Amino acid sequence: MPSRSQFPISAIVLMGAGTLVLAIIVISSIWLALNTSRLAEEVTQSRRTRIVVSNTLETLLNAETAQRGYLLTGSERYLGPYNAARSALDRNLSDLAALENGHPGSQPRLLRLSRAAGAKMSELAETIALEQAGRHQDAIALVRTNRGIDLMDDARKVFGDLITDAEQTVTADMKQLNANARLLELVTTIGGALIILFGIAAMGVVFRAVRAAVAARREVESLNVTLEDRVLRRTEALTRANEEIQRFAYIVSHDLRAPLVNIMGFTSELEVGTKALKEYFGQEKEEARPAAREAALDNLPEAVTFIRSSTGKMDRLINAILKLSREGRRELAAERINLKRMFETLVASLKHQIDETSTTVSLAENLPSLNSDRLAIEQVFSNLLDNALKYLQPGRPGRIEIWAENRQDSVVIIVRDNGRGIAENDLERVFELFRRAGRQDRPGEGIGLAHVRALVRRLGGDITVASKLGEGSEFRVLLPRTLPQEPSSKAS
Amino acid sequence: MSPNSVGLPVAIVMVEDDEGHATLIERNIRRAGVNNQIFPFTNGTDALDFLLGEDGSGLAHAGSSLLILLDLNLPDMTGVDILSKIKSNPHLKRSPVVVLTTTDDQREIQRCYDLGANVYITKPVDYEGFANAIRQLGLFFSVMQVPTTE
Repeated sequence: MPSRSQFPISAIVLMGAGTLVLAIIVISSIWLALNTSRLAEEVTQSRRTRIVVSNTLETLLNAETAQRGYLLTGSERYLGPYNAARSALDRNLSDLAALENGHPGSQPRLLRLSRAAGAKMSELAETIALEQAGRHQDAIALVRTNRGIDLMDDARKVFGDLITDAEQTVTADMKQLNANARLLELVTTIGGALIILFGIAAMGVVFRAVRAAVAARREVESLNVTLEDRVLRRTEALTRANEEIQRFAYIVSHDLRAPLVNIMGFTSELEVGTKALKEYFGQEKEEARPAAREAALDNLPEAVTFIRSSTGKMDRLINAILKLSREGRRELAAERINLKRMFETLVASLKHQIDETSTTVSLAENLPSLNSDRLAIEQVFSNLLDNALKYLQPGRPGRIEIWAENRQDSVVIIVRDNGRGIAENDLERVFELFRRAGRQDRPGEGIGLAHVRALVRRLGGDITVASKLGEGSEFRVLLPRTLPQEPSSKAS
Repeated sequence: MSPNSVGLPVAIVMVEDDEGHATLIERNIRRAGVNNQIFPFTNGTDALDFLLGEDGSGLAHAGSSLLILLDLNLPDMTGVDILSKIKSNPHLKRSPVVVLTTTDDQREIQRCYDLGANVYITKPVDYEGFANAIRQLGLFFSVMQVPTTE
């Protein structure tokens, strides 16, 4: 069955597709996860950069504030925060360098930043050095050149750029992260849906396959049951055939024996007669004259007549047996037979007898078409129609009805007449070879129905009869719609 | 065959489809010295019509004596049917029935005796045997007592 061989292939294809989708989901998930963690790291780094940059700016501002305090007051106390800011600035710059290390395009920015910070710090260091040297006016003059505030503005701008950069990176990375999350969600949703879809399809395939398997098992089971049934029917048919053969052998031996007894009996009578003639003509005994006369005129011709009729009868019997045997050996050939048309032809060929007996023949519309041996079917029904016309009830117009009972693999053709009927205990006998029923007022050898039954059984069917004496008979011919193969004819 | 109590001679009803056999049987019975009237029938229908009479009751032969010689293989019915009809008929049931047939099938023989056949003889195929059997049957008939039909 094709569905059985299709099952594994389609199931494997579906499972393969499901696995592929799963693999795609896993790979894209891993990729997206990696991407996300990279982006998250980037975001963290950018944030830290921003913080460090802010701290650096703050340190720079602290240093400037301390310088202003020192220059204003000359108090050494302001140098503490200045020095702390200096060392903090160095630490901040090295932190920043470590953070930005390996970052593309970070080197020039870092350089700009450390330069701006360095320039500011050296300006601060210069003024503080002048103050420490006691040159307070020079230091103030240096401040008044506005170089310090310009440098601070520069540094502020550089720092602001860096912070803006870091913030932009964070925003972009966050956007990317969101996109990634949405992509992951999409891939997972579509993949999940596909997996569910494939799962359902695979389940459907498996379900179908299971159902097919169950149906196949049921079929096997029912085949087993019908096999037993078929064996039973075959056995019945064989038993019947065997009984038929025994009956046939019995009839043949009996019927051939009867004329044989006659032939031998009348041969002896011939001897008796010739003895009487011999006595009269050979020995010229006058007292032998009446016996000789009787022999010559009656007994001898009678004996010859009986011997001749007996040999004729034997010949007819042997011919009938040969005919049946030939029919049994004839190769059957199935062909399409339209029964309605076949019956119309048969009825037309019997028109003379039908008109003579004022019989009406009705053919039902439901007569089907068969696939069987045309000659055999024609012989069967022409015999039945012949009989129906032959054994009509005298003084009653004949009525013959033919119809069909359609069954699944077979059909029953019924031929019913309103003829003289068959007595109940002769119902089986009419099918036997050389046997006839009822008053022997019609010519016949008792072969027709025996032949019909042999033919019908060879065609794989059976024939039965129901009848009521004086009212009519109904022959039912069961025929398969298609001629069964004959194992015996194949083997031989 | 001795005449019956009312003085009527015994009649032999011979049901035999084969006219040759009928002729041979009649001739050999005659050769045994039996001169009783023989009613030959070649089929069962006619024989039953005669035996049971027109009304089918069997009353037609009341008072007469019948001996029935019966073949089993008849064209229109089996001799067994005739036998059972004779033996189940209140008027004919005591009439001796001699089954004379070619069949030597044991079941058939048993069935005939079960149905009330008085004698069952298988026709020998060889003529000497056949003639001999019929002649002895004729001799047997000549000493036989046949009851009167009631």
